[in-house]
Amino acid sequence: MRKQKFDMTSWLLLLPALFAFVMVIIIPFIMGILYSFTDWSSRPQPDGMQVVGLLNYLETFKDPSFLYSFIVTTVYTALNMLIINVVAFILALLVTSNIKFKHAYRVGFFLPNLIGGLILGYIWQFIFNIVVPNLPLITELIPAIQNPANYILAERNSALMAIVIAGSWQYAGYIMMIYVAAIISVPGELFEAAKIDGAGPWMQLRTIIIPMTAQAFTVTLFLTLVQSFKQYDVNVSLTGGGPATTFMEKSILGTELLAMNIYNTAFKANQLAQSQARAVIFFLVLAVISTFQVRANKKQEIEL
Amino acid sequence: MKRLTALVLILVAATGFVFAGGDQEGGGVPRLEILQNKPEIDAQLKAYAAAWGQKNGVQVVVKTVGGSVDVDVDQMLTIGYAAGEMPDIFVFPGVADYEKWSEVILDVSDQPWVEETSVEFTYDGKVYGFPVAVEGWGLAYNADILEAAGVDPASLVNYAGYKAAFEKIDSMKAELGLESVVSMAASISMSWVTAHHNFNSLLSAGLPYGDLSVVNDLLAGNVDMARLSQYADWVELLFTYADQAVLLTGDYDAQVGAFAQGKAAFLHQGNWADGNIEAAGAEFPRAFAPHGALATETDGIFASAPAYYAINADSDVQELAKKFLNDLVFTDAGHRYMVEEAGMIPAFASVELSPASPLSQSVQEWVASGKVYSWNQYYFSDSFRDDTLGPIYNQFASGTLSKAQFIQAMKQAFESR
Repeated sequence: MRKQKFDMTSWLLLLPALFAFVMVIIIPFIMGILYSFTDWSSRPQPDGMQVVGLLNYLETFKDPSFLYSFIVTTVYTALNMLIINVVAFILALLVTSNIKFKHAYRVGFFLPNLIGGLILGYIWQFIFNIVVPNLPLITELIPAIQNPANYILAERNSALMAIVIAGSWQYAGYIMMIYVAAIISVPGELFEAAKIDGAGPWMQLRTIIIPMTAQAFTVTLFLTLVQSFKQYDVNVSLTGGGPATTFMEKSILGTELLAMNIYNTAFKANQLAQSQARAVIFFLVLAVISTFQVRANKKQEIEL
Repeated sequence: MKRLTALVLILVAATGFVFAGGDQEGGGVPRLEILQNKPEIDAQLKAYAAAWGQKNGVQVVVKTVGGSVDVDVDQMLTIGYAAGEMPDIFVFPGVADYEKWSEVILDVSDQPWVEETSVEFTYDGKVYGFPVAVEGWGLAYNADILEAAGVDPASLVNYAGYKAAFEKIDSMKAELGLESVVSMAASISMSWVTAHHNFNSLLSAGLPYGDLSVVNDLLAGNVDMARLSQYADWVELLFTYADQAVLLTGDYDAQVGAFAQGKAAFLHQGNWADGNIEAAGAEFPRAFAPHGALATETDGIFASAPAYYAINADSDVQELAKKFLNDLVFTDAGHRYMVEEAGMIPAFASVELSPASPLSQSVQEWVASGKVYSWNQYYFSDSFRDDTLGPIYNQFASGTLSKAQFIQAMKQAFESR
């Protein structure tokens, strides 16, 4: 292979993108880290901005609502990763099998991903609040669901599940596409050989499809991990952080995920610098977890 | 090398255009930006502002924020201030927000409209806020239902009166066609009903207008347990007789809709709900009864200017902003906009029109007879009300907190504020 030539022209072509990246990602990121050590607020500050050291970080770890958000976000992420990937993989197997209209199904499963998270949240809110308690099909099976106290969005655990359901509905189609690409690229000879050896569909799945698509798993698990951790729009429109729950003897929002907690700290409690500190913690945790995840997954991959 | 120079030139030119684009003013016409928080009058204000702008050669831009899950004015101001793009006129709800933004709020004590109103916003003897309107809330009632149930609205002035009325109406729900007695919402996104409006009952019910004794005690962390426990009874009464679906998961539409469709006898909202009730096709007579939160009488409703227009002290178009506000008070077009189009209760003596909708008329009657109690909830920050008190009300509504625990949680919230 010929060695790539990186002369001035290629750098110049890269320049606009690099310029934008530095301006909107790198510089704000560094500024953000610096701000997290100050008492910066966007309000008029007569004495100017003061450096307060690690105070914002200490306050953050003392705040029950942040600790709670961390726990609830971790639970949410675990559930969401599991459900999205299981659903997406099953859908991918479905649309790569020999069923009729499989191309139509591919488009159909992918479509929810094109709907904005806010609108999607309001649609699911309507489904959970109005449709589910009044649909005879469901109410005959589980009569208790008609009691408002048992509404899906009226109780903390089920409200969290509701965000998982809405989030999965939105994202599973997207992840499915990645699995589809991976499954299609598995060489057909392997299946033929497996058939001759007498392997059934389950055996083929376990010994051919899953190992051969391990690379896709690395990508999808990373994507779903990051996406779940950063969940905000569906959270805001579907539950708004409610219902309330008690944590460390305080009444706090029961389904407030981390991104929402950071937003509320900044713009509702008006603690911009502290919110920045939370965002830095958020970034570090996410970077560490996803690095481990990608490393662990890489070990499972096999080169053809 | 020539090509390279050409490329650099193109890049420089391109970036230059991008930056030049950002600074352009609307074609030499002065621009007046207004930031307000009432989505229900958004269209009317925009129409009036456009007409006013055309007459005065100004491009008026109206930005509206608000609603249940949305950014509020305070957040917009924070963003605007950080970006160096503050609106020229913006609303603020009261003293806590005034103190936050005092550096950019212009002293307007010398303005002609000040003479025409009694509810302007003053701080240290100077006028800073133009009252947007007069608003009020109590418990709105459907007069037909109350009459059918034989309940006299005049008896609804204290806890005992309400308890008797609620019990009676509750026992007649089937024949009156009701699903619940009172339409009340307490989900997290409706904290503004519980932790703002209802919370004010604790702060000002039964006290003379402008009396801050309870507020100051609570701000200092001294909780009057007797008053708090009476208040807890009142909240419990409302929650008990509310439709549980609306209470726990309902939004504004669900809450107002239940009342508008005649499925609830009472509605816990203010006169701003009139438009929505009418839009739902409701024709029954309705009015406000006081919040009878205490054992003693509260003979009046909570009324005040809901928000004030402030002029940005850093604005380049201050004179235009002043003219815009004065024209609301001193021109016929301004009067028609405030009263007929936006359906507001005017805060100015120079306005002789009166609102057409029943709940606004009811507020105007209470105000005219001087039976009003102040709005004191703004002495507590938004974040305290939404993020500290809101979850407590929500848990009380869902039954995860008992009444004793509710009282304890409220007490603790004030003490550790």
